[in-house]
Order: sequence, then structure tokens, then C-alpha cells
Amino acid sequence: MPDGAPIYLDYAATAPLDPRVADVMCECLRDPALQGNPTSVHAPGRAAAARVDLARAQVARLIGAQPDSIVFTSGATESVNLAILGVARAAGKGSHHVVTARTEHRATLDACRQLEREGQSVSWLKPDSDGSVDPGLVAASLRPDTALVSLMHANNETGAINDIAAIGRLCRERGVAFHVDAAQSAGKLPIDVQQMGVSLLSYCAHKLGGPKGVGALYLKHRPRPALQPLQFGGGHERGLRAGTLATHQIVGFGLACELVRAGLATEPARIRALRERLWTGLQAAAPVARNGASGHGLPGILNVRFPGVEGESLLLALDGRLAASSGSACSSATAEPSYVLRALGLSDLAAQASLRLSLGRETTADEVDRAARLLVACVRRLRAALPAGAIERIA
Amino acid sequence: MSEIRAMYSSLVRELFERLPHAGDLAPGPGALVHGEAMALDRGAWVRFDARIEDGRIVDCAFRAWGCPHTLAAAALVAGRMHGQGIDGEAAFDARRLAAELDAPPEKLGRLLVVEDALFGMLARALALQLP
Repeated sequence: MPDGAPIYLDYAATAPLDPRVADVMCECLRDPALQGNPTSVHAPGRAAAARVDLARAQVARLIGAQPDSIVFTSGATESVNLAILGVARAAGKGSHHVVTARTEHRATLDACRQLEREGQSVSWLKPDSDGSVDPGLVAASLRPDTALVSLMHANNETGAINDIAAIGRLCRERGVAFHVDAAQSAGKLPIDVQQMGVSLLSYCAHKLGGPKGVGALYLKHRPRPALQPLQFGGGHERGLRAGTLATHQIVGFGLACELVRAGLATEPARIRALRERLWTGLQAAAPVARNGASGHGLPGILNVRFPGVEGESLLLALDGRLAASSGSACSSATAEPSYVLRALGLSDLAAQASLRLSLGRETTADEVDRAARLLVACVRRLRAALPAGAIERIA
Repeated sequence: MSEIRAMYSSLVRELFERLPHAGDLAPGPGALVHGEAMALDRGAWVRFDARIEDGRIVDCAFRAWGCPHTLAAAALVAGRMHGQGIDGEAAFDARRLAAELDAPPEKLGRLLVVEDALFGMLARALALQLP
């Protein structure tokens, strides 16, 4: 980050583009030999297709999949929509049942609400207090007409990790398609779709140092879940996602996957250590509490709340010196407290006193220490003005 | 200017950064009164403390939980109460505070909490004067 830029701790929202990815994308955009449409049979088209094929293999390798099981999309939101709406609509006429959780990303929640409007039935599971969904709860919710279970691998706000292998096993036993939203976990946790029993898996480039605007949906081979496309016009991606492939985006996605895969053995441990260093630094602002997964969640996410601290005032006190996500949708008086934190049992006030700090590839120990000092100073200043009893009351 | 700072008037920013008169009253002579109002659902909790001598407020401090507009309003009121009579001649109401701080309409409910705390304190101060 340039001098004077805020300390960036919002990797769960998006990660800065890796310069090596930017280079290969620029090369793709500039190289006259790569300007063809990857579906064209002439030389420029075949050259572009070769780069797309290489990227497809890289993207697939990150999750232990075969290249021809990957469908490129515009991002995880589209992938999630294609998976949920596509499977449910392909299940045929009549009402079908879908299982998901209340703490899923908006992409999943809104796609499932759309299914409800179309006459489908949806079970909204409540996670445990740590934010994860009990596989037993999933098992109990399955019905003869269940067409799909859709759950995230790791929660985008709390970092809570679901036991995907256990849920995949029971879905396989019951013959139910299982979609996993891995937008947060791909490249940060080892993923093997074969071993995890996943039917469909959504992920994207920009959370792992790739470009915005490109993602992928993994589709299991045998049995391949029936999927109805959402858009039409050219039969691209085996008829599942029409539209000319964006060669440079896909190439960038591929390299980003390759780079994070190379770091999977060491990077999660480094980031987890930094997260714990940050948590230790924040103890100087006690009382401070951790929301959701305590220590066992996604390595880069720390969701904390500062009892007695009002969210909007904390944001102004930070004054743009720290880029992080607050516990409410925005800072206006009508801001909705985070539905994820509320689903974990937090009050509106506690949710608004929360902050999601997410670390990533470029995060350093120095940044973590500066962020902790800044937060501690802001929290102490605001608390110094509190009425007696406010810390206990607003917790 | 950062995006978040741009959401507030210069007066709100200045008061929020310094929080003048926040905390406890300094020791001194005179009678102590306080007024407190809390509406957590509206996002504000304010307490004023004042020292009264000869029917005038000689010192005033506040404590508050709330948004920057709430804290700035409480600081503004506490500062202006110094030297004022207790008969309400300098009393602020929420609408005047909103106008002075250039607060958006949705913040009026929080500024009403500031007003309630102030009026509560002044009512107690007036009660002290009664035979």
C-alpha cells in the first residue's frame, strides 16, 4: 500500500491485485496474438483458447478438480446464483426443497428467497454460537423432496468454518446435490472437492489476489448435477454460461490460483499468527470480545466487538486510517446491524459495536501492531466519555 | 478529507475530535445537579453534570454514548451552559442543535435525548432554588 494509505485489513471484502497477476493480464491485453475469441478456430482464437485452457487447469487444481468441471462466470455471486437457481429449477416441475443457513452471503440468501417466490420451499438453518452449522442439523432438515443443500465453507464475517466433508458425506448418502460457497476459503484453506463430497462449488478471483469480475463454478462429473442455465446466447461453457470468455480476466484468475496454491503450505499459518498477534494487541482495549469462531476459524478473519463503543463513532475516530468492515451495513441512523452477528445471538447494539478485521497476503506484523494501537486508542477515547454502566449495558 | 469525515460538518468534527467538557466535573464549591436520558433503541445515552452557584451554572460536563452528532451536541451544550442561568434562558432544543450541527433528519431522535438530559438537569437545578 502507498505511504499514507490506510492500513488495509479488509481482505475478506477483496484482496489487492497481485502485481504478477496484473502483469500477465496486461500482457494478455497487449499481445496481438491473444486478441482472438477463445471459441474461434483461427490462430488468434486458438492462442487465446490455449491460455484459457491453462487457466482452467490452474483454477481447477486449486480445489482438486478436473479442468472440464470448471465453468467460468463473472464472480462468486453469479456462480452461487447459477448453482442454486440452476439446480432447483432443473429439478423439474412441482415444489422442491432447498436447505441453507441464515448466515450465508447475500448471494445465497437472495437466490433462495427468489426460489421461495417461485414456489419452492427453503429451510433456513440456525448456526451454533460459533457460527458453524451442525451437520446433524443438516441431516435432520433433509426431506424426500430436497433438491439442494447450499452452505458456505467459511463465513465471510466471522470466519466460522463448516464441516464440509461431513455434510458432503450425508448429502451423498441421501442423493442430494451439495453446493459450497467457497468465496472466502478458496486459496486460504485446502480444498479437495472429491474428498469433500461436493457437487458444486463457487469461488472467485478477487478474494485471492486476482481480478474482480471473474469467478468459477465447479460441477461434479459423476453424477453431474442437473443445472439449468441462467443466461442464453452462444452455448459457451458447455451451454451453462453464455457469453464470450474474457481471456485476460481468466488468465489472471488462473495465475492467482496458482500463486495461492503454492503458498497454501505456509501462508495460512503466517496469517493465523498475525491474526492472533492482532487479537493480543487488542487486549489493551479490554473488554473486547471475539464474535463467532474463536481461533479455529478462517486464518485471516478476526471479528471483534468493543462493548460500550458506538459503531459510527468508532468509524469516525478511526478517520479512514484503517480499512475494515463495521458491524452494520452503513453508518447512517437506519443502518441494519449485521444479520450474521444477530443470527449468532448478538444484540443490535453489540453488532454495531463490532468490527471485522481481515488479513491477507500483504499484511505485515508492523501493520497489525499499528492497527491494534490505533484501535485501542480510539476505543479508549470513546469509552472515556461514556456514562457509568454503559460498557456493561452495551455489550 | 476521508470519506467518513466528509459525512459531518466541520463543527461536528471539531467537537468530536476534542470532546470538550467530557468526563467529570472538577472539584469546587456549589451544589451539584445532573440530568440523564437514555434511549438505546435510538442510539443515544447522555448525562450532564453541573455545579450551581447563586442561580448560575459555573461548571458543566457531559458523558455520552452515541454517534458523532450525539457526542458533538452534548459537548456543544455543556460548553455553552457555563455561566448561564438555570431558568432555561440558554436552553437548547433538539431542532436548534440539529440546525447548528447540520445533522441529517434521522439524527433528530438522538438529539432529543440530548435535549431530555439537559432539561432534566435544569429541572433539578431549578428545584434546588425552591424554598
